Amino acid sequence: MNKILKLVVALLALVFASIGLRWLVAPEGVAAEFGMTLMEGLGLSSQIGDLGAFFLSLAIFILLALTTGRRTWYYPPIILLGLTAIMRTMAWMFHGASLAVDMIAVEIIACIILYLGSIRLADED
Amino acid sequence: MLLALGHSSLLSAQQSPNIVLILADDLGFSDLASYGSEIQTPSITALAEQGISFTNYHTGANCAPSRAMLLTGVDSHRTGVPNIPEMIPPEQAAQSHYAGILGHNVVTVATLLQDAGYHTYLSGKWHLGQTPDKLPSSRGFERTVALADSGADNWEQKPYLPIYKKANWYADGEEYQLPDDFYSSRFLIDKTIEFIDSNRADGQPFFAYVPFQAVHIPVQAPQEFIDRYEGVYSDGWTALREQRRARAIELGVVPADTPMVQMASTADWEALGPERQAYEAKRMAVYGAMVEAMDHHIGRLVEHLKAIGQYDNTVFIFSSDNGAEAMGEPQQNSWSNRRALASQGYNTDYETLGLKGSFNAINPGFSSAAASPLAYYKFYVGEGGLRVPMIIAGEPVAIKNQLSNASTFVTDITPTILALAGTQHPHARNKGWYGGRKIEPMIGRSLLPLVEGSAGSVYGPEEAVGFELAGHGALFMGDYKIVFNRGTQGDSQWHLFNIQIDPGETHDLSAENPAQLQRMLGRYQQYVADNNVLPIPDGYKHEIQIIFNGLHHVYRDSILIFILLLLLILPFWVVYQSKRKSKRAK
Repeated sequence: MNKILKLVVALLALVFASIGLRWLVAPEGVAAEFGMTLMEGLGLSSQIGDLGAFFLSLAIFILLALTTGRRTWYYPPIILLGLTAIMRTMAWMFHGASLAVDMIAVEIIACIILYLGSIRLADED
Repeated sequence: MLLALGHSSLLSAQQSPNIVLILADDLGFSDLASYGSEIQTPSITALAEQGISFTNYHTGANCAPSRAMLLTGVDSHRTGVPNIPEMIPPEQAAQSHYAGILGHNVVTVATLLQDAGYHTYLSGKWHLGQTPDKLPSSRGFERTVALADSGADNWEQKPYLPIYKKANWYADGEEYQLPDDFYSSRFLIDKTIEFIDSNRADGQPFFAYVPFQAVHIPVQAPQEFIDRYEGVYSDGWTALREQRRARAIELGVVPADTPMVQMASTADWEALGPERQAYEAKRMAVYGAMVEAMDHHIGRLVEHLKAIGQYDNTVFIFSSDNGAEAMGEPQQNSWSNRRALASQGYNTDYETLGLKGSFNAINPGFSSAAASPLAYYKFYVGEGGLRVPMIIAGEPVAIKNQLSNASTFVTDITPTILALAGTQHPHARNKGWYGGRKIEPMIGRSLLPLVEGSAGSVYGPEEAVGFELAGHGALFMGDYKIVFNRGTQGDSQWHLFNIQIDPGETHDLSAENPAQLQRMLGRYQQYVADNNVLPIPDGYKHEIQIIFNGLHHVYRDSILIFILLLLLILPFWVVYQSKRKSKRAK
């Protein structure tokens, strides 16, 4: 069971790392998947810088959690993904954004998987 | 002054003429009725009757270099387009003049006509650059709808080769979505008419460049045109090649008794079974239909110009970018080819061949008929790759219904158009400068003396014109041509031909006239040096390079992401493994 969970957690890291690298290498395609057009100037800098760093950070935190076995490394990606889901919902409630149900679901499921990982896979507190 | 004189003596009207430059894609030497074809091209024949048809006109051996020379009057190597980018090996692509994109060191005829007060329109294939500063809207064309790729589907916005992610169409510099009822030839003429009409009121002359997709692969046509060619090709390609040769001789397009070779790529028609023969004939029927559909829509444009009172002041120039294409699979509906095409959403079914969703290209056997009576095809510098129809016609043209066998070249078109418009190239006017940058001079000649009938030739017997593409080389001088074809069809040997009496390149004069061969080889070496022609890497094959460059283009990002992903994960993997080992050791 733990082996399967470890595999799923590693897969999450791979997916987030791929998205982060796509922001770096081929931003146009990944921007479209997130409902954005690629901006210019400062906007482009923020898109590539902030979003690339967000996804690569997620991946690195998860990889650190898996390799060190320390529970604390699971918390940053759980917080980041959880906050993303909450803020997406608030964007829908207060700013007229689309309710991105699919994306929110993915983020919540990822949070649950990481939480399970922190309980079952971590060696120590 | 001379240009101004040429302008006034040619034209019956006082004002600058409208100019319509029509470019077919991969149209073979004998694909028009007026050049010996069985394909019905009444609109082009009617144009030919209103002007002069050139029978010894040479273009480049493939698409983009020809288009670069056509629109600038400059040798392809000096325009930045010595080859199509899809075919350029990395060793050459590293050099700036081998980018395969039209450089800013040349000025297009559209820019110069715009400067002279013309409205300038492009509707069709561009293939000379895709970045905003290289699209036709930045190269002198006021209104455009342009395909940036080497080709695309004729029925929908879909790439024809897996080397493209999508069919890249642009309108006025912005990405463009084709309409649902798209058929290339009809759509391109519709847009041309729309552009012309949009500025009709101001009385300014226009230059309309109409580079058709027809008859580049995929060869596709409306059913009503295909129906007209059912059964026409059942006697096969060898019979058709001979039939066209005889008709071209009858029309005076080539000398009497012009001999011709049989290309090695031509299979034995009689050895094919009846079913296979029917399929091959259908492939060619769609080709004939595509040519006729193009002609039909050219006719619509002519009729429209008559209806709005512009026909009498319009000069038409018709030609092809290179000779007939022979890249079609010999067995198009083989299991492996069908599987490969199915992955792109294409079928090769007999019943729907040429229609939407169908992929078609003619068999190399029929390509040799399309080039009849010449040898070789597109991508090669034999006459079949370089010699194509060219017609200058219209009410303002004084000479009617005549043939000219004078040596003429694609680089002559821009000088001719500038002379028609009564303007000059800025290299002559501004000592090599235009818009604050140094530009290349034209090497072509105005053909107006031929069109007016005031001269029999514009090149002297000792004047040489060279051409190089991917290691193939050719040089024209007087009646002679030296030619070097490499690759799968060529023998990598220089040959000497008298192409005035032997356009089929059947009788090599190298042994009989070694002095002429050496003299022309010397001139070719000079051409190579003058134009900084780069050597081709050992083992280069254009077919392989297209696949390699295409895969690189499509999968480059994915490969880079994969490598970076590995680099990111590797240190974590090493730490994880070493931790596991130390745990086990404990």
